[in-house]
Amino acid sequence: MGKAIVITSGKGGVGKTTTSANIGTALALMGKRVCLMDLDIGLRNLDVVLGLDNRIIYDIVDVATGRAKLPQALVKDKRFDDKLYLLPAAQNTDKTALQPEQVKEIVDELKPEYDYVLIDCPAGIEQGFMNAVAGADAAIVVTTPEISAVRDADRVVGLLEQHPLTEAPRLLINRIRRNMMQDGSMMDIDEITHHLGIELLGIIFDDDAVITTSNQGEPVVLDTDNPAAQGYRNVARRLEGETVPLMKLEDQPEPGFWHRVSNWFHRG
Amino acid sequence: MQAAVLRGTQNGYDLVLKQSASLDQILVDLKTLLENLKVDPQAQETSKVSLDVLTEDRILTAEEKQQIEQMVGNYPRFEIHKIAANVITVADAQQLRERENVHLLSKVIRNGQEVSMQGDVLFLGTIHEGGKLCTTGNIFSMGNVSGILQAGYPDDESKLVMGNLESAQQIRIAEQFDIIEPDELQPSPQTIAYVNDLHVLSYGHLDKLKKINPKLYNQIGGI
Repeated sequence: MGKAIVITSGKGGVGKTTTSANIGTALALMGKRVCLMDLDIGLRNLDVVLGLDNRIIYDIVDVATGRAKLPQALVKDKRFDDKLYLLPAAQNTDKTALQPEQVKEIVDELKPEYDYVLIDCPAGIEQGFMNAVAGADAAIVVTTPEISAVRDADRVVGLLEQHPLTEAPRLLINRIRRNMMQDGSMMDIDEITHHLGIELLGIIFDDDAVITTSNQGEPVVLDTDNPAAQGYRNVARRLEGETVPLMKLEDQPEPGFWHRVSNWFHRG
Repeated sequence: MQAAVLRGTQNGYDLVLKQSASLDQILVDLKTLLENLKVDPQAQETSKVSLDVLTEDRILTAEEKQQIEQMVGNYPRFEIHKIAANVITVADAQQLRERENVHLLSKVIRNGQEVSMQGDVLFLGTIHEGGKLCTTGNIFSMGNVSGILQAGYPDDESKLVMGNLESAQQIRIAEQFDIIEPDELQPSPQTIAYVNDLHVLSYGHLDKLKKINPKLYNQIGGI
């Protein structure tokens, strides 16, 4: 029996979809069977990030209303033989087209087949959020080191505490800029974690490659050397129960030749 | 034994309705009693006799009270001052306890959440920005408050908010409120917010509690 995890944030644009795609891919690379569910109905783009947008025939609303069977709507990602599937969102209806019970039914149908069902939640805390949370066993709250994102994450954690899932929500801090956090101009990781009062699942460094790879329809996690990819792989390993230390902020690349020469002169 | 007995006290007259008797019996006895007193030799007195009706360990329903009042109303010489019992209902007692107790509250009130309480609250938790704690009584805060505290809801201006209020967003007491600007308050855990005689919310220190709210000060043992 698999586990259903909802990926949510309250605020839009903090990287829920990117996170869903990358954690899903990382788990698939570890040999787990993963199904990604896009619940951002009307504004779907998990399929685009995964590069599967041209393969969609049926969507989640078709399944919920009985127009299609669940296996018909699932899109298989051929890169990870039989490990990664996507249940796409509908594009031409709105979020009220689904009810929480319908989503729960679909999630319950998927759970025995997969190790993980990752639910990509839409921004906001209305019907779409309620739908996404309905079938989940656990939650990952994504935030960025900005006050507005942290406030909204606080609100979402409050809502999740009011309707508790099987597991307590865990935090993922996205888009961390090393230099800004080191010189104190960005909110600190400890500060955010302490303020929200939930367990930290992982941190992801901001990296240009996240955008370029997304544009090509390949999750960044496929690039093994990328720091953002490492962050997502670590998150996937922690979900599997491994103990992985947090990545270090000051893990800067080796200083260049001229930098070393100037240090040599400054030493005296 | 009479089911309705008239007793004189220092303050006037008590009309005791025995709890062991049935209401029908009481009404019969009450009628006889009042009939007898109507023809009392001292009846020339013009002033009315005011009665405190005591029902012992019996709670009368509204209808039963009306029956008694109607009966007494037939005799112009008497009037009912109040009807009192030695007991109250469990619901009333619980409400009383809710109102009089200091409630301990230790939880995280997050952005968008509102916690409503009855009576005084000793708050040990955390209020995040955008969270609100609302109570009818006083608030004594030992926690971290970055949200809104409302005491004396909805209209009791005699209530206080006490604690370190420096980082709060707003303090509200009854209908008065204050938006706390950065550096407006000292980071002291002994700050008191209260409504002054001009109905303006202002701040003081615990040292000045005697002056700020003498009633509370006496109640909690100050001299």
